[in-house]
Amino acid sequence: MTDVNATGNHSGTRPASGLQADLLAFMAQPDSSEEAFNHLALRLFAYQFQHNHAYHQYCRQQRKTVRTVRRWQDIPAVPVDAFKLLTLSSTPVDECARVFTTSGTTSGSKGSHYHADLGIYDYSMQLNFQQRFMGEHRRIRMGILFPDESAMPNSSLAHYLALAARKFGTGDSACFIGQDGIDVAGLCQAMQQAQQDGRPYALLGASYSFVHLMDALDEQGLRFRLPAGSRLLDTGGFKGQSRALEPAEFYRRLETCFGVPVSHCINMYGMTELSTQFYDGGNEQQPAIKSGPHWIRTRLIDPASGVEVPHGERGILVHCDLANLNSVSTIMTEDAGFAVDNGFILEGRAQGAHAKGCSMVMDAFLQAVEQ
Amino acid sequence: MRETFPRALSPSRRPEQIAAGHVPGLAQQALRTHALTFAAHGQQVQINVPALSPEQLADVANTVRKAAQETIACMPVMDVLAAIDRTIAHMLDCNNPERPAIERQLSIISGYDPEMVRLGISSCLKTFRRPQLLRFLAEDFADPGVLDDFRPGPSGGWRRAFGPGLLAHIWAGNVPGLPLWSLVAGLLVKAGNIGKVSSQEPLFASWFARTLASIEPRLGDCLAIVWWPGGEQALEQVLCRHADVFKVYGGDAAIAAWQRQLPAGKRLLAHGNRLSIGLVSASALDTRQARLVARELAADIVRWDQQGCYSPQVVYVERGAQVSPRDFAAELAGELTGFQHSFARRALSTDESATLAQWQHGLELSQLRGADTILLGQATDEWRIACLEQAQAPSPGALNRSISVIAVDDLEAFLDTYATKQAGHLQTAGLAASPEELFHLAPILARCGFTRICALGSMSTPVPGWHHDGRFSLLDLVRMVDIESSAVQAGEAFAGYRD
Repeated sequence: MTDVNATGNHSGTRPASGLQADLLAFMAQPDSSEEAFNHLALRLFAYQFQHNHAYHQYCRQQRKTVRTVRRWQDIPAVPVDAFKLLTLSSTPVDECARVFTTSGTTSGSKGSHYHADLGIYDYSMQLNFQQRFMGEHRRIRMGILFPDESAMPNSSLAHYLALAARKFGTGDSACFIGQDGIDVAGLCQAMQQAQQDGRPYALLGASYSFVHLMDALDEQGLRFRLPAGSRLLDTGGFKGQSRALEPAEFYRRLETCFGVPVSHCINMYGMTELSTQFYDGGNEQQPAIKSGPHWIRTRLIDPASGVEVPHGERGILVHCDLANLNSVSTIMTEDAGFAVDNGFILEGRAQGAHAKGCSMVMDAFLQAVEQ
Repeated sequence: MRETFPRALSPSRRPEQIAAGHVPGLAQQALRTHALTFAAHGQQVQINVPALSPEQLADVANTVRKAAQETIACMPVMDVLAAIDRTIAHMLDCNNPERPAIERQLSIISGYDPEMVRLGISSCLKTFRRPQLLRFLAEDFADPGVLDDFRPGPSGGWRRAFGPGLLAHIWAGNVPGLPLWSLVAGLLVKAGNIGKVSSQEPLFASWFARTLASIEPRLGDCLAIVWWPGGEQALEQVLCRHADVFKVYGGDAAIAAWQRQLPAGKRLLAHGNRLSIGLVSASALDTRQARLVARELAADIVRWDQQGCYSPQVVYVERGAQVSPRDFAAELAGELTGFQHSFARRALSTDESATLAQWQHGLELSQLRGADTILLGQATDEWRIACLEQAQAPSPGALNRSISVIAVDDLEAFLDTYATKQAGHLQTAGLAASPEELFHLAPILARCGFTRICALGSMSTPVPGWHHDGRFSLLDLVRMVDIESSAVQAGEAFAGYRD
């Protein structure tokens, strides 16, 4: 892994520098024990409790302090909404190198994830990406189906994909989404080239962009058979941007359209609020199992009581991501799923409660008020 | 449908099977069924509901319309009323051997506490005994005889009320007993009735229909209880063609979908989702009264875990009394804890639990941002109370025993400012105030958009003949036919006895 190095400008004067070095070393290990993870998670918690003012207040409100938190499972998880309403940063925000914002598609307000620098984020992404996506390749020619980083400087996905292309893509990799949408002609040309050369090709982007692309290819009656070793990476779901397809159908269509076997179609599950991503190992089986590297751990809880659900039962995902150095390690998502051996099954966002009866619920109320 | 079994506990035993639905005119062999499975309180039931083809649904609709025309439409309304009364008496009878099984099944289907279901069923059925049924008639008809014959009108002429030939009911939700309100109204106006049950509670309406058919066989073919998953267009279009009037319960989207399908000239009576509130005046907040008031309010919150349109989601409490809004919230917390022991909350789905958590997180985060808010209720409690010092317009909470206690200086002044933003989604205001205040506040509440004012503790038990969402339960269903005096006078010229 010679080209996977912690990058970024982490100055030695920051209080986090010792911790950051230890985190990087921890991530570089092939695996970790529960004890080692716990130890580092508690150190990280102590650091954030001390330096992240808003988080400190939140922990106090939850009646948790460094003294009462003994296990990583007890670290207070902040709901994702907290990224919208509080400034969760251990470093003064004007000293932060980067802020990633959420799309704000559902609530209208955007959440901000502050990164003091991107060293640890990039390191986490690269180690994991190499292992879970690249397979036998050191570099692969890439096509990116997402706006590039300059167009969306606050998008963590744009950064992720730019990083993928920079660190793992060949020199002729390119982004195929511009102001006018997908450059279908350009992409077709690149894929035809790959077919001729017999060099594997990787296409990465938002799930909904794949739907738009496949619709466009269908219209033109185009089909590809990308060379063996090619792979696809989709992420983020459909988000109302395209019609929603069942996963099995989506991956079957990808295979038909691009000639990449579903076993090489990888879905990435990431969140702006995290610094580590989850992947499945291909989509031959549905639902596909997601898992992350040893520096992130996931629990499934009953959100109202905060109690962990028995293994295998449906719950809400809570992630403890040791790469979330500057913000908060432990995040309570709004995603439902259940645990299986070797990971978890993601079922998607918990549906707002529909009243079982005729009581008005918030979503319906807001719609009624808006009309 | 309810979330089914936890994955770790997938069923090894075959669940108890119960047939639901009531479909006159179809041979039993021709009937396919669909299984709806429910699990709660460590038990499972499988309810087999009829799965009709569009042709079968048309046959059922024709059978019911014809039977209604030939029987119920010709029966005196008092005979219909008597048949309903006998049916309800049978369902209420604690020696009725069906009762324990039905109670158990309904508590599994709905997930509600078994004792809450038992009491709730009885309380609902009691609303439909003879004295109450007479009240239903009296609320809407000065002379219920207009349902039987042409009766003289006060301003001359004669008029008669005709129920629809076929009345369609689209029910929603899991609150047991809800279908009775419209079904009984349909029978009292002598309509043929075809009711589509909710996937969340398919049993109660079937129980009523089958009991009625066994007690008064003449009426057995005048109603049908059917099921299909909402949005099944082929079936919905058949119903739209056949029925004359539609009584639709559900969310705005479901109501709008029915409205779109309906041919012009057919009538849709909608009961959408509603928001209800409590109001506690300073006059009800001395140390003795406050506790009683809190108990009544807690009962309204606990009953059906706030799933009813009449369930309070917000309570406004006046400042300046012996007991402050915050102290009142503490009293309420005590009462809710007490109820938790006698009536446990339904097991929540992950989605419901997530909604509750999000509501709580929203309040906690606003607290961190400086809002004057206190949250009561520990992780292990089955209730949550938010105490807000800043007045705000009523808005829904997270249900399942979550409530906002909002402090206001003056109820009247607060409601006055809110009344200008009148909204159509409000329903019940449960009130603890002196009679003077009650009649003073009533017109303001009406201007706000509320259609029902009642005592705290009575919010979830509307009285017979209430105007649900401000509408008439019987009058809205009928078509009035007038014979004007001119016809009679003119007829004199053609009479055999004419001069």
